[in-house]
Amino acid sequence: MTVPNNVGDAIPELSFGPITRSTLALYAGASGDHVKIHIDSDFAKAAGRADVFAHGMLSMAQLGRLVTNWAGIDRLRSLQCRFEAITNLGDTVRCSGTVVERFQQNGETCLRLAVSAQVDNGTRTLLGEAVVAVDPAD
Amino acid sequence: MTQSSSAPVAPPSYPRIFERSLLGHRSDPIGFTVERGAIRFFAETIGETNPICLDERAARAAGYPDIVAPPTYAIVIEMLTYRQPSMDGRKPMLDLINCDQRRLLHGEERYDYAGLIFAGDQVEVSSLVRAFEDKKGGALELAYVDTTIAHAARGILVTASRCLIHQLS
Repeated sequence: MTVPNNVGDAIPELSFGPITRSTLALYAGASGDHVKIHIDSDFAKAAGRADVFAHGMLSMAQLGRLVTNWAGIDRLRSLQCRFEAITNLGDTVRCSGTVVERFQQNGETCLRLAVSAQVDNGTRTLLGEAVVAVDPAD
Repeated sequence: MTQSSSAPVAPPSYPRIFERSLLGHRSDPIGFTVERGAIRFFAETIGETNPICLDERAARAAGYPDIVAPPTYAIVIEMLTYRQPSMDGRKPMLDLINCDQRRLLHGEERYDYAGLIFAGDQVEVSSLVRAFEDKKGGALELAYVDTTIAHAARGILVTASRCLIHQLS
């Protein structure tokens, strides 16, 4: 694995977007998540929303890319997040992560990362953590 | 948990929507074949650039049997247990627990990975309604659903834990 991997180190950031209606239509099809509030503006407005908004899982997918671009897919042991705010049309999702702990788990040396996503106005939209396995010598 | 018999329990401020009688319900396992084209479509849509998720030659060169599902591809398999039963004339999970799409928010998602998912894998998927909870004086109601994705030879590959929220206020 490539550095950084010490507690306090930040991993390379990642951004995705801006989110368009096409992005959401494609993600609904690709993910199988057909919840209408993300793809049907008439439905969203009738439900009291200004418009459709992005699937939280689309941003979580970016957290997955953030971590696996750095660590490799085969190293990922867990990925978790809380959805704190919605992501609107036109937003760009910016993801960042920091190593917060090195520990042993199931016979492996692992790193815990604090990960988060935010949108253009600075609102944090996702907050979570990832655990990746590393070589003990790293 | 203990509850004093003398403490009056305040009625919820808002009518609840989730079907609470489903607590502990486990869905019948659904068999599912992971398709290469579906993984690639998902990978392209989320902006994945790792060639092992897009190109079977790159995946094989890296020592994998076929292209590798990105970490959150588990959502695709998870959603299957939410939708697939309708094709068999049964109620899908989202309907069983009575989700109201106008009020539904996704609260949390967690994936624990024990193995990679490859194109061509035959997996078995099952969901458990683990808990219901009320927050903010009943203005929010939460449902927790856990889904396991298992392979006959390689065992459980991914456990997904999801928290769904109804905004009742």
